Amino acid sequence: MHARKKHQTYLLILLAVLLMAAVLNLSMGSVHIPLKEVLNALIGKGASQETWDFIILQYRAPKMIVAILTGSGLAISGLLMQTLFRNPLAGPFVLGLSSGASLGVAFLILGAGAFGGFLGNTLMSQWSLVIASALGSFLVLLAVLAVTFKIKDTMAILIIGLMFGSVTAAVVAVLSYFTNAEKLQQYIFWSFGSLGNQSWNGALIMAICCILGIVMAFASGKSLNALLLGENYAKSMGVHIKRTTVLIILATSVLAGGITAFVGPIAFIGLAVPHITRQFFTTSNHFTLLPAVMLCGSILMLLCDTIAQLPFSEYTLPINAITSLIGAPVVIWLLVRKRKLLF
Amino acid sequence: MYAFHQKVWANLVFFFSLAIIEILLYLGMKNLVPFLMLFVLLSGCKTENESKKKTIVEAPKELEAEVHKTNVQFAEGFKVKQYEGYKKLTLKNLWPGSDKEFNFILVKDADNFKSKKKFDGIIEVPLKSIVVTSTTHIPSLEMLGVEDRLVGFPNLDYISSEKTIQRIDAGEIMELGKNEDLNTELLVELQPDLMVTFAIDSDNSSAERIQEIGIPVLYNGDWNETTPLGKAEWIKFFGVLMGKEKTADSIFNRIKIDYTNAKNVAGQSESKPTVLSGAMYRDLWHLPQGGSWAAQLIADANGEYLWNDTEGTGSSSLNVESVLEKGKNAQYWIGPGQFTSLDQMKEAHSAYEQFDAYQNNNVYSFTNKKGANGGVLYYELAPNRPDMVLKDIGKILHPELFPDHELYFFTKIE
Repeated sequence: MHARKKHQTYLLILLAVLLMAAVLNLSMGSVHIPLKEVLNALIGKGASQETWDFIILQYRAPKMIVAILTGSGLAISGLLMQTLFRNPLAGPFVLGLSSGASLGVAFLILGAGAFGGFLGNTLMSQWSLVIASALGSFLVLLAVLAVTFKIKDTMAILIIGLMFGSVTAAVVAVLSYFTNAEKLQQYIFWSFGSLGNQSWNGALIMAICCILGIVMAFASGKSLNALLLGENYAKSMGVHIKRTTVLIILATSVLAGGITAFVGPIAFIGLAVPHITRQFFTTSNHFTLLPAVMLCGSILMLLCDTIAQLPFSEYTLPINAITSLIGAPVVIWLLVRKRKLLF
Repeated sequence: MYAFHQKVWANLVFFFSLAIIEILLYLGMKNLVPFLMLFVLLSGCKTENESKKKTIVEAPKELEAEVHKTNVQFAEGFKVKQYEGYKKLTLKNLWPGSDKEFNFILVKDADNFKSKKKFDGIIEVPLKSIVVTSTTHIPSLEMLGVEDRLVGFPNLDYISSEKTIQRIDAGEIMELGKNEDLNTELLVELQPDLMVTFAIDSDNSSAERIQEIGIPVLYNGDWNETTPLGKAEWIKFFGVLMGKEKTADSIFNRIKIDYTNAKNVAGQSESKPTVLSGAMYRDLWHLPQGGSWAAQLIADANGEYLWNDTEGTGSSSLNVESVLEKGKNAQYWIGPGQFTSLDQMKEAHSAYEQFDAYQNNNVYSFTNKKGANGGVLYYELAPNRPDMVLKDIGKILHPELFPDHELYFFTKIE
């Protein structure tokens, strides 16, 4: 009982930190906007300048929501994969989802030249990238599911996922070889990831994906706890292994695939956040871990985005670089301090 | 066209039969293979004959060089020095941050040229055939009236000029593949007198390989020039090579005078409209830096480019927030990336609608004027004709001062 109370307190503290990080994220950016003006814009009173209103409500606010969704969604799918494969190195993209998404986007951007005008013209629409990326992930998901039904060994799924990743990476390489520099640059920019490209509509659809995935994740919480003790033990506890595996893979795909479609392949968060969280919450109970990784992931993502915006300068850094630059030292520091991996 | 189709078919037959051999081998039907091999060889031979036939280019008769001394005023990347019986072409500043200098001897008869000094190469001029790799080189050749000496180009689809497209359709210019990875075999077969290419950095392994094969290579640094007239002056570079120095000089002088006149006309206006440029990819805004070619043209057209004070001659990637704050009130928006219509922009990002220039329908783009094969005309011709670009921008910013000029590169996008 004592541990549970401690965990509840931790969760409350994390929630408070999340709120602060969100406000910080909203108030920092290239353009300096005083906190009072930020609040005025948020409560609908309007900031003193029209552009500020637009920046806060149409740029920074959706970006903040997208950051929270990305952080929590990727962290959860990372946790799910680590538990399913009982492997601390697993992350949301081990099944090849991000490679699938890259393939879809590569076909759209790099293939546009080869397929001529039609695709080239639709490229500008903000939805075309999202749809291409989602289709790519979905194809990989179908392939992985087909394999899951055929194969008994969970570990084999992991290897096959990696293989899918290699194949798609190879196709992308061929496509990029036959394209021009400008297209290649567009593709590379996509692969850097970006949170600030979504309108409210985009953020809304992303939120639906994430909520769907999170509900599925929580629904499999009990089986996840049992899985940690080994498949045989889980079976003896009445867990239907195949059904659970499919549910977990579906949840991960909806989360990671949906997020990648909107913001691009964001590295590291999915792998690192579960480890960071386990250092604070010394438990393997997924009903505690799931909300905890959500909060940690969101906070980390918000902070990374705030840094990536390089407040008060005209320039921005790619979010993908920042997540790894900030995330990796944190994990190393935590592991060195505690001297062991809690898994 | 006929010869071209035949070649494609021959290639198809060749590869198809290779595939069949592989399948037969796979199926274990080895005894059938020798027959097919023979067939493949035959079809392969046919391809070769065919392509040889195609590449014989009629060499122009004795080319008379114009006697003239070329003097370079604005360009920083090349110099021509006249000596008795030969010229020295010095190239430098060919790519950003390069301090390498190349010296070439241009002489009528290379066999009779003797010198103790070391040079990077000896080139016989005037050239009878040439391969270029950038579309910006095409207008130079056309203006000099020597476009018939162009025998090869990578990525023919990029070319927009109608004159040259006609020659492509007639099969007189060979497709050489991709610029970053030229088809060396075709180039060897073509044996041009010279290849003019460009280098983005010091790594030019592809061009070096071609040099080893014995085809002289010159780098053209027009794209690395920082002034509009400097870029345009590279026509003299082709003038020297093609024996058309006098023509090149008079063409450039015309451009220079037109440019200066347009600048003076634009300067008469009291008003200095504010200008925004560039567009976003994802949420990064790419716009030309203050020292860039585009920024100088806006300044010479008596406009106030809002990012005039940024250092550098390339482009910056800025956060959309800061661009919005600085550029919201800009009167004109010149060169909004790849966009060709206002709706397209709106669909791509809602931030575009926030700008005054967008709301007031003052967005001008050069991407609507395209060649028959989809290449953007501006990219090909604009560096050669800064006078026309300047008049265009002058017309946009000060329509009252350029009543007779019709926009050539730019269109107001709707």
